[in-house]
Amino acid sequence: MIEILQEYGKAYLWTDGYKITGVAMTLWLLIASLALGFVLAVPLSVARASANPWLRLPVWLFTYVFRGTPLYVQLLILYSGVYSLSFVQSQPLLNGFFREGINCAILAFGICSCAYTTEIFAGAIRAVPPGEVEAARVFGMTSLGVYRRIVLPSALRRALPAYGNEVILVLHATSIAFTATVPDILKIARDVNSATYAPFSAFGIAAVLYAAIAFTLVWLFRRIEARLLAFQRPQSTGRAA
Amino acid sequence: MTRHFPEETMFHPKPDPQSPLAVRVEDLHKRYGPLEVLKGVDLTAREGEVVSMIGASGSGKSTFLRCINLLELPSRGRIEVAGEELALCPGRDGDLHAADPRQLRRIRTSLSMVFQSFNLWQHMTVMQNIVEAPVHVLGLSRAEARDKAEALLHKVGLYDKRDQYPAHLSGGQQQRIAIARALCMEPRVLLFDEPTSALDPELVGEVLKVIRGLAEEGRTMILVTHEMKFARDVSSQVIFLHNGRIEERGAPAQVFGDPQSERCRQFLSRTC
Repeated sequence: MIEILQEYGKAYLWTDGYKITGVAMTLWLLIASLALGFVLAVPLSVARASANPWLRLPVWLFTYVFRGTPLYVQLLILYSGVYSLSFVQSQPLLNGFFREGINCAILAFGICSCAYTTEIFAGAIRAVPPGEVEAARVFGMTSLGVYRRIVLPSALRRALPAYGNEVILVLHATSIAFTATVPDILKIARDVNSATYAPFSAFGIAAVLYAAIAFTLVWLFRRIEARLLAFQRPQSTGRAA
Repeated sequence: MTRHFPEETMFHPKPDPQSPLAVRVEDLHKRYGPLEVLKGVDLTAREGEVVSMIGASGSGKSTFLRCINLLELPSRGRIEVAGEELALCPGRDGDLHAADPRQLRRIRTSLSMVFQSFNLWQHMTVMQNIVEAPVHVLGLSRAEARDKAEALLHKVGLYDKRDQYPAHLSGGQQQRIAIARALCMEPRVLLFDEPTSALDPELVGEVLKVIRGLAEEGRTMILVTHEMKFARDVSSQVIFLHNGRIEERGAPAQVFGDPQSERCRQFLSRTC
């Protein structure tokens, strides 16, 4: 165990001497896919909660497909499947993008996370009290203003607890990135296992690292919720500063 | 009418009959499918007038109020605010829609509304609730809006609550904040949709006191209410609605003291 940590500790945490690996790579995967998922999910959730079926149904189909198939299969299709298409290989831009495993991993995790996040946000948008929307309209706000100033700030706050859960799930989902040869925590653990034949230590260290990240994220979300959801809490602890 | 009203609580704004029209609604109809809830209602409010709308639940008075600022789409009728007619055009659903959304938004900024269930924005502090629309709709600077908001908070007696969230306030306090929020838009007309119906009985008085103060300032108000004594005290005109029609209208002394319609008489004998 001590020897493994001495020899591979650095690779588990940030680099194997050549490239970024381990925790640093896992965090990059996590942040990049969450950012992609969040940016897409905000407009998609507005469309998903819309009364207009031409906006609502395409988004419903998107979330249905990506929540209805395993992420592992989506990653394999993007990484192996798409790259095998001849028109992708003939386009230098697409060819360059899909040749890199990390691009495929971020794209797959980002889109899948986007599908789940869209449903979380759409649920929160539907839960915004209609009276608050009426009040905004009565004071002369435009539809865009109502969403930007009232509906989204309220819905995104209310969605925080569920979104924090989604972030933990995406963290754990990144552990399949080794399929696309991305050197994340689990890829390093597998390499260590093949080199040392000490699977309990090799994977045990990986588990501890994932747990440490997860607990940090949980703590972080509790802090954010305490700030942004103060309006929902009982007055004794929720007093604005 | 056996109840005695002390003279000092009576306040009847006497608007100048020459003062300009604040709101004029003509022949307003509203139907939900086969159900016609408003069957041609008219209303004229001059500047400085307080018009109270009374009637049983389901008589259409709230629907009428919500049609004035197009929260509900009327099926037929004309709406005029401060001499400007709201351009309406029929939609495919058979209701009238605003022909020009920009005109509707402009007219809405001069018609602030206070709701039965307050409808404060829960995720914002009291101060943010009040300055939100003045800053982002009227384009006031933040400093200017804050100054106005602080003055209004003093006026409704809640300055010390300015950094609290609505959920941490009582219903009466929330409604007073909602009134401050409406006033910060400097509207020409205030619309009150049963402002005390969601309040515990002991909280009704503090809200009515604020509204009475506004009437004494000479603000134009249209008030849907179940508070008969209050309507009698502050109104210049009382309208009794029954099944979507105006059954009785006139000065409060006449409507409450000597109602001409049998239905109005029955309604008042049950509620007063």
